[in-house]
Amino acid sequence: MYNDKDAKKIVDIIQSYARKHSLWVVAYGTGCGAIEIPPTMTSRYDAERFGIRGSATPRQADVLLITGYLAVKTLKRVIRTYEQMQAPKFVMGFGSCTINGGMYWDSYNTINALDRYLPVDVFINGCMPRPEAVISGFIKLQQLISEGKAEGAEKYLKNLEWYRENQNKVIPNWNMPDYNW
Amino acid sequence: MEINWSSVIGIVATPVIAFIVGVLYGGAVRKITARVQNRYGPPITQNLFDIIKLYSKKTAIQHGVMQHLGPVFAITASVTSLYFIPVIKDSPYFQNFSFNGDLIFLLYMMVFGSLGMALGAGQTGNPNSAIGVSRGLSQMVGYEIPFVLALVAIMIQFKTTSLNELLAVQDHFTNWIIFQSPLAFVAGILAFLGMMHYAPFDVVIAPAEIASGPPSEFGGKYLGLMMTSGSIFAFVKLVLFVDIFLGGASDFITLIIKTFLLYMIPVLTGIVSPRFRTEQSILFFWKWPTFIGILAIIVVVLNG
Amino acid sequence: MEELKIEKEIAEEISKTFHSAEVTVKREKRVVVKLRDDLITPFLSYAKNNMNFIHLAHISCVDWLEDNKFELIYSLLNYDNKVMILAKTYIDRENPEFVSHTNYWDQAETYEREMREMYGINFKGNKRLTEFILEDWQGIPPMRRDFDTVKFSQDTFYNRPGRENAQDVRTTVTKKSGEEIPEIGKDYTVRNL
Repeated sequence: MYNDKDAKKIVDIIQSYARKHSLWVVAYGTGCGAIEIPPTMTSRYDAERFGIRGSATPRQADVLLITGYLAVKTLKRVIRTYEQMQAPKFVMGFGSCTINGGMYWDSYNTINALDRYLPVDVFINGCMPRPEAVISGFIKLQQLISEGKAEGAEKYLKNLEWYRENQNKVIPNWNMPDYNW
Repeated sequence: MEINWSSVIGIVATPVIAFIVGVLYGGAVRKITARVQNRYGPPITQNLFDIIKLYSKKTAIQHGVMQHLGPVFAITASVTSLYFIPVIKDSPYFQNFSFNGDLIFLLYMMVFGSLGMALGAGQTGNPNSAIGVSRGLSQMVGYEIPFVLALVAIMIQFKTTSLNELLAVQDHFTNWIIFQSPLAFVAGILAFLGMMHYAPFDVVIAPAEIASGPPSEFGGKYLGLMMTSGSIFAFVKLVLFVDIFLGGASDFITLIIKTFLLYMIPVLTGIVSPRFRTEQSILFFWKWPTFIGILAIIVVVLNG
Repeated sequence: MEELKIEKEIAEEISKTFHSAEVTVKREKRVVVKLRDDLITPFLSYAKNNMNFIHLAHISCVDWLEDNKFELIYSLLNYDNKVMILAKTYIDRENPEFVSHTNYWDQAETYEREMREMYGINFKGNKRLTEFILEDWQGIPPMRRDFDTVKFSQDTFYNRPGRENAQDVRTTVTKKSGEEIPEIGKDYTVRNL
């Protein structure tokens, strides 16, 4: 017998399997960690075997990789990039700087905790994390996707006011367009 | 009116088969590229995963009507072109709508998708899209000329514009048009390199330079539609060239072997090639392939 | 001291031309000139036109909070003998103003913009003293020494617990693993905040 719920379940399984095995990372390096991405993607560590691929524009991407420290000026661009991406989208915090500020914890111009401004699904610890750590972070993200726990985008929409408040606190001149994402 | 059920089945099955074969070829190309670059590479079904994922994304991009219609134009052109090509020779299932003038029709139809995409990408207002579109259309002007010359040479030689009649001519492998009219084949295959948009003719979608060009503002379902269209269109071009030059295929295994071998020409050229600028690629197409195409016509006329 | 011949010649020429200048040969290829602030423009002009120091490598600034002074340092390079002159001068810290040298070197514009942003020095004559690296900066310029960067960071950005100060990572790690810090390592101390 045709059952609507079962059909939905099957579709969900197929979708999460496809999402899991096709993670497109927007090519946007924010800090020094961007230097770890080329070895991750090329012959030595070959992230493409997990379906991880670079994507040229935020419109096509699934994963926003915040590679390292995030200056306030860059945060503004990152938020803009993030809001142009199409849901479901995931954010990965890369390196100590995104967790607690790292070695730039007392800097006047870098944020200390990324998850106050954007919903982070996976943090990768280290300064710098090696390509192995990056790939293990991606595999953790794949696990979360298959368990249905990587719901950063929905969290962001639900708590948008809280995120906006935090963002406006560090970005005084908020002259950005509103995206109907 | 009696309904020909076998051709109905064929009409339903053709796009599905074209999609599956095209997607798997795309995955195989990624795998081969990876192996050449000494990588393990993604699984062969990777493009299928990508397309499913793109279709399952929530998509909210609004730039205007043409932006919605661009990918639709592309897939319309691909599927329509596919329907006018006899996929399997002398098969009751896969004759589709092929008719007497289908070569001329296909010449027009295969351009339609690119033009639709150009309109769609133009409306997004992204400067990268505009650059990509202008490059793509210029390059199309480049490779269309040797392609048309090659087809015209064949049309004059066999006095037909029907693919089915061309297939009927090539009844034995010594009668394949690649052997009967080698100059036309050379011109055609050089144009084919440009048609497949692999390096050195991939300046249109240069990802690091103009952020993937025309589709740079398309994401989610639009991109999924475009990838689907691209997979089908790759299959269309391969089957067309196999039908014209390599004697078609009377069963699927022959078809797969022939199309795959033909596909490897642009792919393997692409892996080892750097990228031409637009004017360089136009210069390339207008020099030797055009010259060979004209030579093919002259030879045919003199012999004829 | 045969090897410092060129440097000494340069120092002699400078002190002959600018009597109030305090010239020292720091080391090989490095001459330091201390000047009154109104002599900087003539000196740069003289060095560029008469002594062939055609390249302005850098302009930097030091904040002498205790003396209530800013020190400006102009680095000039001669391509022929590869000698670098560091021309130093002091300016008032309360109302920092100086002359722009964009007429002599175009690249001075960028350095002056940066110093305006980081130290608040106003360079008169620079036509492009707009926002440079910092975006929408409010408050005192961040590179001044009376700007408390730790306090600013703690006020503006959320500080995750466990990162309140520069904890001695070594002590924490040794405490956790139960190891002893070797004698040789005990001399190195972390700046106490």
